[in-house]
Amino acid sequence: MSNPTQHPTPEMILDLARGALAHGPQLVLRTHVGACADCAAALRLAEAVGGVLIDELAPTDMAEGALEKALAAIDAPPPSPQPPKAKQPIDWIHVPEEVLVAAERNRRWAAPGVWVAPIRRDGKSGARSYLLGIGPGIAVPRHTHRGSELICVLKGAFEDRGEIVRAGDLTDSDERVEHRPRVTMDSECVCLVAVDHALVPRDLIGRLMQPFVGI
Amino acid sequence: MTDGASFAEMIGAIAARSDKSAFAALFGHFAPRVKSYMLRLGAPPQLAEDLAQETLLTVWRKAGAFDPGKAAPSTWIFTIARNLRIDVARRQQRGEPAPDASDEPEPDLAPDAALLATQSEARVRSALLTLPPEQAEVVRLSFFSDRPHSEIAEALGLPLGTVKSRLRLAMGRLRDLLGDLHE
Repeated sequence: MSNPTQHPTPEMILDLARGALAHGPQLVLRTHVGACADCAAALRLAEAVGGVLIDELAPTDMAEGALEKALAAIDAPPPSPQPPKAKQPIDWIHVPEEVLVAAERNRRWAAPGVWVAPIRRDGKSGARSYLLGIGPGIAVPRHTHRGSELICVLKGAFEDRGEIVRAGDLTDSDERVEHRPRVTMDSECVCLVAVDHALVPRDLIGRLMQPFVGI
Repeated sequence: MTDGASFAEMIGAIAARSDKSAFAALFGHFAPRVKSYMLRLGAPPQLAEDLAQETLLTVWRKAGAFDPGKAAPSTWIFTIARNLRIDVARRQQRGEPAPDASDEPEPDLAPDAALLATQSEARVRSALLTLPPEQAEVVRLSFFSDRPHSEIAEALGLPLGTVKSRLRLAMGRLRDLLGDLHE
């Protein structure tokens, strides 16, 4: 596969390295990084910085008997390795297992040619993550966003404002972006999506579709 | 005894022959530092202690997965500690127990991401020392906080754009200095 051409910002890579991303954005970023040699290198560099900074911290005494406790714990039999819970589709880029499980268990048709598989929703903030599968040539109704919408393409491609977004590419859209992405004719397009708020449909079809898609 | 190469050998000794004295040495160095890291991130003392324990237990269990060609020991241990902390935060938020966070699948990284061999740790350290102090400060603060950059900016009394550009400059400079570790 060719290298992705659309990347997260350096600050987002740093946020991933320092563990400051919410769950959905973390899933999307990790998926992109798994497909992108440049961002993987940037992440490793940032993690190496984290390692050096931890190493330089003044140590804090552990509790009395902490080492003995650890030595006792390592004598206990290790938890048996879990068999994989879901299979990685061969035509997707590599995704975390949680995404595969959602794809198998939660997938439902949302509209003709469109399926959705919710991954996680945070009741408090309204942030959510989901998979979206859209058939060849289908356009998503025109919409804009409240807050941020991160997408990593897992399979296929879509056309958005004159650009082709391909497998591994990461896009970040916010309220300044109003668009009507269209899947290319070659194949179905599967996207991993993390939003921190609901979409704002701009036309009637979108408003009709929204309750079904649940996005 | 305390450089990255010997820590890497200790992790290798755990993987190869369940070497408990190697584990004890790693524990002695890293557990108290992971505890400091957790405290810096706002964990209460007991949780910081537990997370430091859990981090080192994960080192024991996963020693076979450590690849010194891909990461320095401190890098690897940092990612384990970070992942455990994220998992605890998530469990607390959702009020539910969850299985071993360190088992979260990591997507396989592209092979040429193996840019930091064990020996590179010293280079990362000295590269950090060359950063202008104001850049080093925001890098340090951001690793010892899980707050958004906007809150880090507020705490420093700086505009968000300034914090972001300092971080960007710092990471860019580190990459320029260390980029030849590629390959």
